[in-house]
Amino acid sequence: MKHKATENTEITEKDSGGSGGQGFGFSVFSVALRLKISIATLVVLAGIFIFAGCKKSGVASGQTLVLFCMAEYVPQKAIDAFTRETGIRVAQENFATNEEMLAKFTAGAGAYDVMQPSEYTVETLVKQKLLLPLDRARIPNFKNIDPEFLGLPHDPKNEFSVPYMAGTVGIVVNTEKIHGPVLGYADVFQPAHRGRIVVVDDAREIVSWAMHAGGIPVNEVTAENLAKVRPILAQWLPLVKVFDADSPKTALLNGDCDIGIVWSGEGAKLFQENKKFRWVPPREGAHRFIDNLVIPNTAKNKANAEAFINFMLRPEISRMISDEFPYTNPNAEARRLLTPEQRGNPASYPTEKAKLETFRDIGPMAAEIDALMTDLRARLK
Amino acid sequence: MFAPAQAPAVAHARHTPGTGAWLLLSPLLAWLALFVAVPGLMLVVISFCARDEIGRIVFRFTLENYARAFDPAYLRILSVSLWQAFLSALVCVVAGYPVAWCIGRARERMRGVLLLLVIIPFWISFLVRTYAWISILSTEGLFNGALLATHLSGEPVSLLYSKFAVVLGLIYNYLPFAILPIYGSVEKLDRSLMEAACDLGARPAQIFARVILPLTWPGIVAGFLLVFVPAIAMFAIATLMGGGAVPTIGNVIQNQFTAARNAPFGAALGTLLLLLFFCTTWVLLHLQSRFAIRNSPASSLCAASEKA
Repeated sequence: MKHKATENTEITEKDSGGSGGQGFGFSVFSVALRLKISIATLVVLAGIFIFAGCKKSGVASGQTLVLFCMAEYVPQKAIDAFTRETGIRVAQENFATNEEMLAKFTAGAGAYDVMQPSEYTVETLVKQKLLLPLDRARIPNFKNIDPEFLGLPHDPKNEFSVPYMAGTVGIVVNTEKIHGPVLGYADVFQPAHRGRIVVVDDAREIVSWAMHAGGIPVNEVTAENLAKVRPILAQWLPLVKVFDADSPKTALLNGDCDIGIVWSGEGAKLFQENKKFRWVPPREGAHRFIDNLVIPNTAKNKANAEAFINFMLRPEISRMISDEFPYTNPNAEARRLLTPEQRGNPASYPTEKAKLETFRDIGPMAAEIDALMTDLRARLK
Repeated sequence: MFAPAQAPAVAHARHTPGTGAWLLLSPLLAWLALFVAVPGLMLVVISFCARDEIGRIVFRFTLENYARAFDPAYLRILSVSLWQAFLSALVCVVAGYPVAWCIGRARERMRGVLLLLVIIPFWISFLVRTYAWISILSTEGLFNGALLATHLSGEPVSLLYSKFAVVLGLIYNYLPFAILPIYGSVEKLDRSLMEAACDLGARPAQIFARVILPLTWPGIVAGFLLVFVPAIAMFAIATLMGGGAVPTIGNVIQNQFTAARNAPFGAALGTLLLLLFFCTTWVLLHLQSRFAIRNSPASSLCAASEKA
């Protein structure tokens, strides 16, 4: 989304010197040619600026750490504090979904030092041998993590990953607008809610809801099971008004949607904003995700990356994450620093025991999920 | 240069470019080669490749991507995107023409100011402007607030996250792209041609249809293309203002290169789109030359006046 922003500046010089073709030449080509020349000039100028900028920043500071993380997930305050303390600059690059992260990473988009995959993508990356094992001696703050979030199937010994934040997926209901009982996915996707639903734009996530609703274990992604959920999804998707991977809460806040299925951090923020947004853990079951910090094999300086991970695990730094992005903080020491109000937010720290499951790597079937969702959404009118 | 009627007049005025001209052109040519020709070729090559488990490209020849691209669902998305782009381009040209006309006919000193006003929106980031539209159109946004406050409507109107919002976003963003080329050809219009037509008994409507329109047609075509072509593949507006519920071909392609991790399929769709652009341009250029032939009196009049 963000890469489009530059495109529109190019025209500004066009047609300022209109004498080009002496009266004959106002053909498409002359206009287009002049346009191209001015674009070329701008590109060259931009190139010079970028080049100059790179050189300058390269000289000014010793080291740069390239962080590849989700948009709106790492507080700038924490990054600034890290740079102040260590002198290491942090260059941030963002993605919206794990799949997008994999796409950019495997396409060789950048030499990342630290990445932030969810549990099932950690498993994929480990299987593909794309991660470096962590040196636990350099990450002493690892001890702050609640054991509940350690030793999970995606990385049983936490050799490669450290939990950053955790959360679930759940339903948010605007209780001023929706009065009927909403307990699970089936209640969300009913014809009465057509055009009022917002969902996270994440193929595997959406498919997992249909699997939950159909009573299929979410990690048993097979061709037969996908064929089973296809009709459910074909019924659900046309009811959705907004698919948003970045900030699904916006459509709820602006009143464009009345009910949504969002990440728990977004649900917690909505609840903070206005108590009319009720958080409902889906009764059919939901995804418990664990977002991690890992070091990919493209890392230029592993020690710096480990220093960064260790820094993020400090209780007072980890607390900053909770302040800005109220997901479930797996850092037990940081959780002690939270206010009772933060700890009492039902979306961040649910009290009722919901049926939760982490995702596992599903190998080539991930591509089938992408294809299924692409095809189903292509059929939306 | 596509109008046969003009060709003789152009021919003797033109000479082959020398070394200096080629030297001046070389940055442009290098740019075109590096950023248009090479990526274009890469796109075509990748579109015949396969992908592995996690989305890396595997260089094995396959036609699967094209077979999938011709699935009716994708053809329908393409047709919807084409229609949205066509509608946007049409509105931009129709709405932009009078604006371009007024600027082109304004006093010399005013022209700069007016052009600046057209360009000013570009000083603000495209994303910021699009988010501004979101806060204007949303259910609890400015427009609905005004509507409710003035009691013009008892209920908020749902505008955002719809096809209407997408087309509105496209028109808003691309309007200057239509105005500027049209302005370019309006500015060069010779007033005496219109006076001559008037003297010869043409009514205003006839002057417009027989003299002004043919002479500004190249600007119209350029303006139309400059809106139509980028609007087909624009995905950010469909995501932000359309809510992603009705995908455009741009969304589908972008998604293949990112979340769906199927670059070969995205490349196949991209290649088809590229072919489509070639066809559109060819048709429009063809139309342009046809138009010039049909209106040859005006064209030759123009040529004559230029010689004089």
